[in-house]
Amino acid sequence: MIANKRAALPLLGTLVLSLTAPATLAQEVRVYSGRHYSSDNAIYERFTKATGIKVRLLESNDSAIVERLRNEGRNSSADVLILVDAAKLAHATELGLFQPIGNAELMRDVPLSLRDPKGRWFGLTRRVRAFVVNPKLVNPGSLRTYADLANPALKGKLCLRNRNSVYNQSLVADQLILRGQPATRSWIRGMIANLADPVYTSDTVLARDVARGKCGVGVVNSYYVARMLSGQNGAADKALAARVRIVYPNPAHVNVSGAGVTRHATNRTQAIQLIEYLTSPTAAEGFAQGSFEYPLKGFGNNPILKRFGPFTPDGLSAAQLGAKAKAASQLMADNGWQ
Amino acid sequence: MSAAGSSRRSLLWGVLLVSLLTLAPLVALAWDALFGGALQGVSLGSEGRLQVGNTLALVAGEGLLGGVVGTAIGWLTALCSFPGRRLLRIAQLLPMAFPAYLQAASLIDWGSRAGWRIHGLGWAIALLALANYTYVFYLSHETFASSGRRLLEASRCLGVGPWRSFGRVALPLALPAIGAGVALSAMEVVNELGAVRLLGVPSLSAGILDRWQAEGDAPGAALLALVALAIVALLVSGERLLRRRSRRWNLSVGSPQGPLWHLQGWRAALAMVITALPPLLAVLIPCLWVSSGWESLRQQDGTELAALTLRSLVLALAATGVTLAAALLLAVVRRWTPRPLVQQLSVIAGLGYAVPGSVLALGLLILGGAIGLGPLLLLLWGYGDRFMAVAKQGLDAAFERMPPSIDEAAISLGCNWRGVLRRVHLPLQRGPLLVGGLLVFVDVVKELPLTLSLRPFDFDTLAVRVFQYASDERVGAAMTPALLIMVLGLLASAALIPSLDRR
Repeated sequence: MIANKRAALPLLGTLVLSLTAPATLAQEVRVYSGRHYSSDNAIYERFTKATGIKVRLLESNDSAIVERLRNEGRNSSADVLILVDAAKLAHATELGLFQPIGNAELMRDVPLSLRDPKGRWFGLTRRVRAFVVNPKLVNPGSLRTYADLANPALKGKLCLRNRNSVYNQSLVADQLILRGQPATRSWIRGMIANLADPVYTSDTVLARDVARGKCGVGVVNSYYVARMLSGQNGAADKALAARVRIVYPNPAHVNVSGAGVTRHATNRTQAIQLIEYLTSPTAAEGFAQGSFEYPLKGFGNNPILKRFGPFTPDGLSAAQLGAKAKAASQLMADNGWQ
Repeated sequence: MSAAGSSRRSLLWGVLLVSLLTLAPLVALAWDALFGGALQGVSLGSEGRLQVGNTLALVAGEGLLGGVVGTAIGWLTALCSFPGRRLLRIAQLLPMAFPAYLQAASLIDWGSRAGWRIHGLGWAIALLALANYTYVFYLSHETFASSGRRLLEASRCLGVGPWRSFGRVALPLALPAIGAGVALSAMEVVNELGAVRLLGVPSLSAGILDRWQAEGDAPGAALLALVALAIVALLVSGERLLRRRSRRWNLSVGSPQGPLWHLQGWRAALAMVITALPPLLAVLIPCLWVSSGWESLRQQDGTELAALTLRSLVLALAATGVTLAAALLLAVVRRWTPRPLVQQLSVIAGLGYAVPGSVLALGLLILGGAIGLGPLLLLLWGYGDRFMAVAKQGLDAAFERMPPSIDEAAISLGCNWRGVLRRVHLPLQRGPLLVGGLLVFVDVVKELPLTLSLRPFDFDTLAVRVFQYASDERVGAAMTPALLIMVLGLLASAALIPSLDRR
């Protein structure tokens, strides 16, 4: 028995070592992410190959991970927080979930309007709230700005996502800043009066109904239609998407997905390395391309996105949008946006 | 019974601990709501009233539809004979395998591909009734098949036809069971989140989460949660009241007699259609969806799918063990200690079932942050809290049917409480324990909000993956994990067959 025990000890030792060693010795960075694109994983893998730093991932929706991080506080093991909406990023900044990283490379790679001025988070990709138009029902040339959606000529032809969509909340915040409250209120009322059908809970379902002519025009993030066009959703969706046009209002409301180092990050250096990698022109292009988003600068090389043409951002910062998020949501609720 | 009382005190402490553990997340939430955020003028507002109204409409609509369907099928399969009766009775377990959010997501996507808009309160009621009528079926079938039988035979001898004996004898007898089933399914409806949100119905559960997380209005969310809890408390006490009225001791489990009414011709055909329709629909919806989106079902990474499935399985097994042990403790102590306090504690311990998973998750996050508990432990705590009622339900009912004289006999023969538990209760309750365990297992595999909010790094499960793909509107990629959830659910429901067949 004793001999057995003695023989077992070193074995146990190596077992324990082999179990704990990778966790303590290998470099890693732990990411809470609000993005759910499997194409992201390819970029993380490339990062690991280039740097030897393992990326450990926890994906969820924005609100849920912000709440989790807030409650975990000091005990949180997250090093990087990625969120997919400007207002959510501003909210997380306000809650003190990020720490500032003064980093010349990041300041250079990320334009000022797409990052926190104090360097607490940095944009990764851009997405545009666009019009999806059925040219048989609505002349795409008649739609120039978001204000045109309230035009009584569109009565019974407009389709919208629900108020719950953060992309819509940020769009309304954007209009609140640019046009003021009275104009935004009557704009919302005009749009609600134009609705062809109750508000949608999915951009893709909405785009399909525009293609079928149930709606003449809808408001979606352009990457959903790009994805349909690419055939990722099947041939039927590809054919449907071919019937619609994407029109970018001028100026366009541009939203961002962005990343920052968490306040209590244990792997700060690795976290900064990851964000630098994701915002560097080559990787950022890949990060955006896999999900049909736009990179931080320019319009990317994706042939489908090229078909949509360029757009002119209205240049509002995430902090500005974030400051108006609550007022926007309230205004939508008060004026019948379900 | 008090002879072995002193050593049973420790059991009482155990019950107290379990109840405290189940209540703790809710208390943490209330605390955070009252003292964490700045108290402002709290009101339901027009939106809150709309959410309350919609939830009540969902509860009423689902209760009516699910109640009628469940009772009809329970009656037909328990007491009427028609071709395929046994098979169709077993088929009623099928809808349980498909979570309502998956049914809603697949129906909406399929409809949208085919050019139909699936949206709104009516569809929500229909889908929730489909997902939850099994509760009513299961409980009413049990009553029709066992207790009302002799009275029905008597009424038949007196020349009363099937319709009148249904209306005047069977239905009044089964009303408590039907009510209990409706109450249980109504609790599911109150905390349903995914399906109602996808169908665009503003409900309480979604409102709580939105106010809390999206709007940062903790007191407003707590107010909505209180309304939800009030609705649930009403349902729970209603269910208790009805169950107490239907309580009778009965050990004769198997009653192998044939059915009472032999249906023929169009009547038999109608019975077949009624009983076959719900399970058929439950299977048809995902099948239609898969067939319409088949081409987008791309080759998935097999090892990753295996890892997802393994994690779902391990989590579900661990949660089932924890929950069953706690439920057994509660049920046994409740049986041996008829003090009102213990009875109330037992009810309280089941309340977690009625709390929306996302709300429970928030409470656990607050607690976890305060006491530094790891995410996996928090997750198991959450599962235990949430599904205690599911495990307890069957056990309590089974213990109620077992005459107390059995325990008294065992004790008078010199058994202590451990002996009674090990040698009498466990062998007799093996069936209900197995059924309760399987129900918890299926629920954990299907569970989404708790898992999504509390899981550790690199620990995605099947349900989490489905949610991620679906919320990214890549429904094609969600298909394989969704199908695997359904397969796990089906396997577990299949294991329930013997318990149903015995009756």
